[in-house]
Amino acid sequence: MLCLGLLLAFSCSKPNNYKTDNQVSVHQTIDEAGRTITVPDTVTRFISLAPSLTEIVFAIGAGEGLVGRTSYCTYPAEAQKVEAVGDTLKPSIERIIALRPQIVFVSTASQLEAFTNELEAHHIAVYVTDSHDLEGVFHSIERIADVLGKRAQADELLKQLRGRVSSVAEKVKSQPPVRVFYQVSDEPLYTIGREAFITDLIKRAGGISVTADVPGAWPKYSAESALAAKPDAIILPTGGSMGDANSNVASALKRSPAVANGRVYKINDDHLSRPGPRAVDGLEDLARALHPEVFTK
Amino acid sequence: MTIAGSTEVAPKHRALRGIDGARATFKKTLFVCAILFAALVVVIILMSLLGSEKLPAQASLCALLTFGKSSCGLTGDQDAILFDIRLPRILLGAAVGGSLAVAGASYQSLLRNPLAEPYLLGISNGAAVGTMIALVFMGAHEWSRPLMAFSGALIATLVVYRLAQGRTGATPERLILAGVIVTTFLSSAIVFVTTLMDATRIRSFTFWLLGDLSGTTAKLLWLALFIAIAGTIVLAAHARSLNLLMLGERDAFDLGVEVSRVRLVVFIVASLLVGSSVASSGSVGYVGLVVPHLVRLSLGSDNRITVPAAAICGAIFVVVADTLARTIIAPRELPVGAITALIGAPLFVYLLRRR
Repeated sequence: MLCLGLLLAFSCSKPNNYKTDNQVSVHQTIDEAGRTITVPDTVTRFISLAPSLTEIVFAIGAGEGLVGRTSYCTYPAEAQKVEAVGDTLKPSIERIIALRPQIVFVSTASQLEAFTNELEAHHIAVYVTDSHDLEGVFHSIERIADVLGKRAQADELLKQLRGRVSSVAEKVKSQPPVRVFYQVSDEPLYTIGREAFITDLIKRAGGISVTADVPGAWPKYSAESALAAKPDAIILPTGGSMGDANSNVASALKRSPAVANGRVYKINDDHLSRPGPRAVDGLEDLARALHPEVFTK
Repeated sequence: MTIAGSTEVAPKHRALRGIDGARATFKKTLFVCAILFAALVVVIILMSLLGSEKLPAQASLCALLTFGKSSCGLTGDQDAILFDIRLPRILLGAAVGGSLAVAGASYQSLLRNPLAEPYLLGISNGAAVGTMIALVFMGAHEWSRPLMAFSGALIATLVVYRLAQGRTGATPERLILAGVIVTTFLSSAIVFVTTLMDATRIRSFTFWLLGDLSGTTAKLLWLALFIAIAGTIVLAAHARSLNLLMLGERDAFDLGVEVSRVRLVVFIVASLLVGSSVASSGSVGYVGLVVPHLVRLSLGSDNRITVPAAAICGAIFVVVADTLARTIIAPRELPVGAITALIGAPLFVYLLRRR
């Protein structure tokens, strides 16, 4: 009885903008993983479970509707005022349900498939993004904007971003491509494969990832193959929100032309590992590192 | 005539059998070990020719046989691949395989349990927890990794041993149950420590936990090799006591074995062996189970032969398994622990059913 009373009191104290499914007009859409989902026409409460998606949401001016994020979602600064529901590996399902989101945004990169089913069992729509190149990132921005009713802002943002992308393309187009090894971690040695969107970023920045044809997104890579590929430049994503891990070149690559010629570049991993608007910052960082000659002005 | 003659010499034979037998066993041990060691050298050379990058076989062979003094026409990069990347990894595999197999063989005799194995008893996990604590909290000190791994292995060993002691002594089932308890407890500890780590490091740690020979430093390699060889010698020197211990601790004591001293030596040396392996390559499972059993099946159960033979065969087993791990999906890699478990787990089931 007491429990029931408390429950009633608690539910009454909730803001009354809460509506059940049958009071809200909904429509069906297909997310980037090809799943058909039912989303409300107007979304006012949602949660992001990936740093990249949190950045997208704020960049298209939809940040005020964000009621939950992961502890890794630290950008922009306003995001940190939003309640954290756990990290990308183990968000708290209880916190998410308690926050009553109409939709939860998830990235395939976080591998939350099982979790997705659980949320749907609680009638929370889950939109899964799945980008494997920069166009895919832009597509995610458009689709999220559609769901959140922010298409005009997204078009404005994308116009800006595409402008910066083509300005980089213009600068590097006459430069010979630089062969790049992208070191995700040194021990054990991880790199990027053909499904990683960074492979596309490197190409657009006037480089070629020496592991562009390796299956998968984040393969563990043979040290001897990395050395035999003779990369002219090595990129170390480090120094962002993950601290200074991965700031040394793997010992096997010490003999590579990149190290011999001093072409090892540390780039903020937040720009490179998050398929969101700041990926264009990452693109510019990469292009500046690979082709300094066309950027010195 | 012949019958009478033979009964006449029998007492003399019996008196001499101790010394003669020991001498014969020593000769047999030397002979078996020499053959196995030659096989190990051949395996190391052959496996050095395989990898994700194709090296010219003849030139590589020539360079290996001259210990790298002559490049034999290998380019600088090829030379680096062979001597700086491939060979150290193979030698580490040999050290790890030898250490784990010899530790397994001694545990099995000491604890009179065919299923005793560093991985199944939770001893590898103890070393893994030690290593992870060292990595997360004492990253700056280079020797903290092997030291903490050793401490973790020793603590796990003592706990499992205590848990397994019932009023009626330690039955094989009790020991394995104690191992399961310690393993699962330590797995939780590992999960706890992983959650304290950066997200970017978690994936590499899960890989390392499955056993991975790709990332090591020269110092850890030399340490692993030294401990593997020294540990094998110490344990082989206790092989006669281990033989008697297989009769039971009380009988061994009556036959003059200093049971508690031998037990302590085996625990410490085996923990050193497991600790140095785990610190350099994570938990490579099933080596300590598969190898000693195969050795006993083919060479008998005399520890004076089994212990050193298991060390060499363990080295061969892991070197071959790791060659598979680094070539079958090249240029990507598998953790070597996945390969040893794929071979070891079915064999474990077979051994269980045979008992």
